[in-house]
Amino acid sequence: MSNAYIDQFPAEAKVVKALFYSSFVALALGGVFGIIQTLHRTDIYRFIDSANYYSVLTAHGVFMVITFTIFFLVGVFTWAVTTSLDREVEDIRFTWAWVALMSIGTVMAAVPILAGLTDSIDMSAAVLFTFYAPLQGHPLFYLGLVLFVVGTWVAGADWFRSWWAWKKENPDARIPLPTFMVLTTMIMWYIATMGVATSILVFLLPWSLGWIETVNPLLTRTLFWFFGHPVVYFWLMPAYMMWYVMLPKFSGGKLFSDPLARVGFVLFLLLSTPVGIHHQYLDPGISEGFKFIAMTNTMFLLLPSLLTAFTVVASMEHGARQRGGTGYFGWLKALPWRDPVFAGMALAGLLFAAAGFSGMVNAGMNINYLVHNSLWVVGHFHLTVGTAVALTFMAVSYWFIPQVTGKELWNRSVALVQVVLWFIGMTFMTNSMHRAGLIGMPRRTAEPQYEGFEFETAVGSVGELDAQIALGGVLLTLSLVLFFANIIGTAFGSRSDTLPDNGYAEALSGSDDAPRVLDNLKLWTAIAIVLVIFAYSLPLLSIVDRGGLFGPDIPPLPVSLESVTFLAFAVEHVATVALESAGNFAQTALSGVIN
Amino acid sequence: MNIHSYEKLWLIAALLLIVGFIATITYGSVGLGIAMIDDSEDTVNPGSLDEDFGEPRVEHVGENEYEAYVIAQTFTYRPDPIEVPADSEVTFYVTSRDVIHSFSVVGTNVNTMVIPGEVSSMTVEFDDPGEYGIVCNEYCGDFHHTMEGQLHVVPEDEFDMTELSVEADDEVELGDEATFNVSVENGMLDDLETTASFEIGDETVEEEITVAGESTEETTFTVDSSDLGEGDHDWTITVDDYEESGTLTVVDELEEENDGGNNDE
Repeated sequence: MSNAYIDQFPAEAKVVKALFYSSFVALALGGVFGIIQTLHRTDIYRFIDSANYYSVLTAHGVFMVITFTIFFLVGVFTWAVTTSLDREVEDIRFTWAWVALMSIGTVMAAVPILAGLTDSIDMSAAVLFTFYAPLQGHPLFYLGLVLFVVGTWVAGADWFRSWWAWKKENPDARIPLPTFMVLTTMIMWYIATMGVATSILVFLLPWSLGWIETVNPLLTRTLFWFFGHPVVYFWLMPAYMMWYVMLPKFSGGKLFSDPLARVGFVLFLLLSTPVGIHHQYLDPGISEGFKFIAMTNTMFLLLPSLLTAFTVVASMEHGARQRGGTGYFGWLKALPWRDPVFAGMALAGLLFAAAGFSGMVNAGMNINYLVHNSLWVVGHFHLTVGTAVALTFMAVSYWFIPQVTGKELWNRSVALVQVVLWFIGMTFMTNSMHRAGLIGMPRRTAEPQYEGFEFETAVGSVGELDAQIALGGVLLTLSLVLFFANIIGTAFGSRSDTLPDNGYAEALSGSDDAPRVLDNLKLWTAIAIVLVIFAYSLPLLSIVDRGGLFGPDIPPLPVSLESVTFLAFAVEHVATVALESAGNFAQTALSGVIN
Repeated sequence: MNIHSYEKLWLIAALLLIVGFIATITYGSVGLGIAMIDDSEDTVNPGSLDEDFGEPRVEHVGENEYEAYVIAQTFTYRPDPIEVPADSEVTFYVTSRDVIHSFSVVGTNVNTMVIPGEVSSMTVEFDDPGEYGIVCNEYCGDFHHTMEGQLHVVPEDEFDMTELSVEADDEVELGDEATFNVSVENGMLDDLETTASFEIGDETVEEEITVAGESTEETTFTVDSSDLGEGDHDWTITVDDYEESGTLTVVDELEEENDGGNNDE
């Protein structure tokens, strides 16, 4: 009899499995749109109209960075809280309720995005992941996003419930590190999502339904980035958690320092949100002083990432030396490079270091002129969310999926090839995207060239850059195919009794070394809120003062037309009914599907 | 909390790196004078840009100093091309009539978001002549990928802001006089001394004109249609590199279809 997660927490394992599978469906869809888009934009193979490119791009962005990442991470967080507190969730029906809420939200947002690809349905949400007004998506899109975010809020409440209940029974114990990481990340998420919730509920949704005439484009844009930067840490924190608590284990050793891990997460909680204006360095209507503040905060946000780099490498070295590795660099050879879980995570970390460098350039306020909104930025975030996060998630899935299904991984060699292919594919794709950005190629456009001028490369050629991007895209698609083959193969396998035990890495320097104050979540929350108020109240007031709460008189530019008016009347009714029945219906439906 | 000595070293190095980055950025701002797009411009109403912002144009505002007022809208820039002289300092004022765009001069660090209601201003020095593409790098709708413009930095001695317009008779009755009203607009601050030349048939008339800075000078050429004779006569009026031309028809007797006079076709 094994002691895997499914043996310890059978009910929770079902939830986590459902969340992982949902995230993989999104990953598959996002991957399909990704390859269509890559081949179209590089003009290698086209079968869609360039005007439809933006629906494809919206779908790729939303499915990848909202659905895939967040469904996966709420699964990881559920595992982390239950495993590290060693207790079941307080009420499994409550847990299924937020799973349902998130699922319904996803479907609602997906419908208008996908409908945008066909002319026969008059619906579209080709407003991209950033949905900047006055471009206006279908109301269902905004409504879906709201439900999805509310679902994540309820999920956070679930984990806090677990922690409070545990604390009553263990009044003097330190918060176990994985739970500490979940809680700090969720506090950051609660603060961050206030921005997007205000933007959608107060402005964009009523506006898309025709209840208010206009919005202030700079205000909704600023509220988006209030959320838009911390959301990248919401994706990244679970990957960091895996590097801190799982990678040392797979390296054969222990986490180097528990206290420093806590310091890192506290710094992320404090600094993730008051930096969003660094996405708006080139926006008119925001003073240079506010941009400067966002720049310094951003630079200090490098600190926890640099600390993580040290701790992760030190933990790997510790593991390697336990495995008999010696020498200054010789220990690297002693690491388990043939283990897809380890190899994938280590390669993800390596590319994340490269991403750190391009990120430092982005953060450089006045250097940003050179790269803002160019393909450089796309290269940057394909290294961060596209590799550091996505590759870590895929690699760690090879450990998690057996844990939550109770089945042996279908094929470890295929898994190893898969993670290496992703690494190679991203290397081709992102180095060329960075270079293309430096010569001024914009992001988010359907065509590789313009009519009136040509992009000029110092080294290589535009054709070579496009070829590298396309080759990268093809390798990534191949990698995804192998990933799904493995997941499906595993799902159809039979129950195994020889699975490794559920668990995470111990620390060399444990939580006893960590000052008590690190666990004072109320204190960190208060400081985080104060920092956000400092960084945002004056800019927001100034934006409202300049442009008005509802902006100047600009007509919306809807990406879909007639059905909106009808929907305005229907939506209240439908939404109420949906919300009421959501809990029960989805719970039964989902548990039916999963069993 | 015990921190390993290597980790302490790393921590100090990391902090030094961060402070170093902030210092370089600050040097870029203060030392090199790379200003950020900011809130120094008043807001405008996208619905009434004609009053708030005026026509898209380039203005000469000082010695080697120019201002370019650019409107971005789905899916064009106006003016297009934007023409400025080399070795000059140009301040761009860019706004949007509809959604969020960008104004990004390819291959340079001239790059700004363009937000309806707000005006982005930035001052740029152009040392050498050259032709640049302008792209919109913020998604603005289905045909976003077609949104482009041109920035022409022309050699200083080839640059002017002269505009020539001619109002001329199309048709006159044999024996009447045909008039050609020429107006020469000088957008530069300095006086423009030039020659307007008028050619019709085998006749050429030249006139020296001086147009004061930022003003318009008018002159009139006349020709006696008896000298030309009945029929079509091509004419050309030239001022520097600008040319206007047309055809004058001399008829025996004008058809009087209504009271409109001789402007009717």
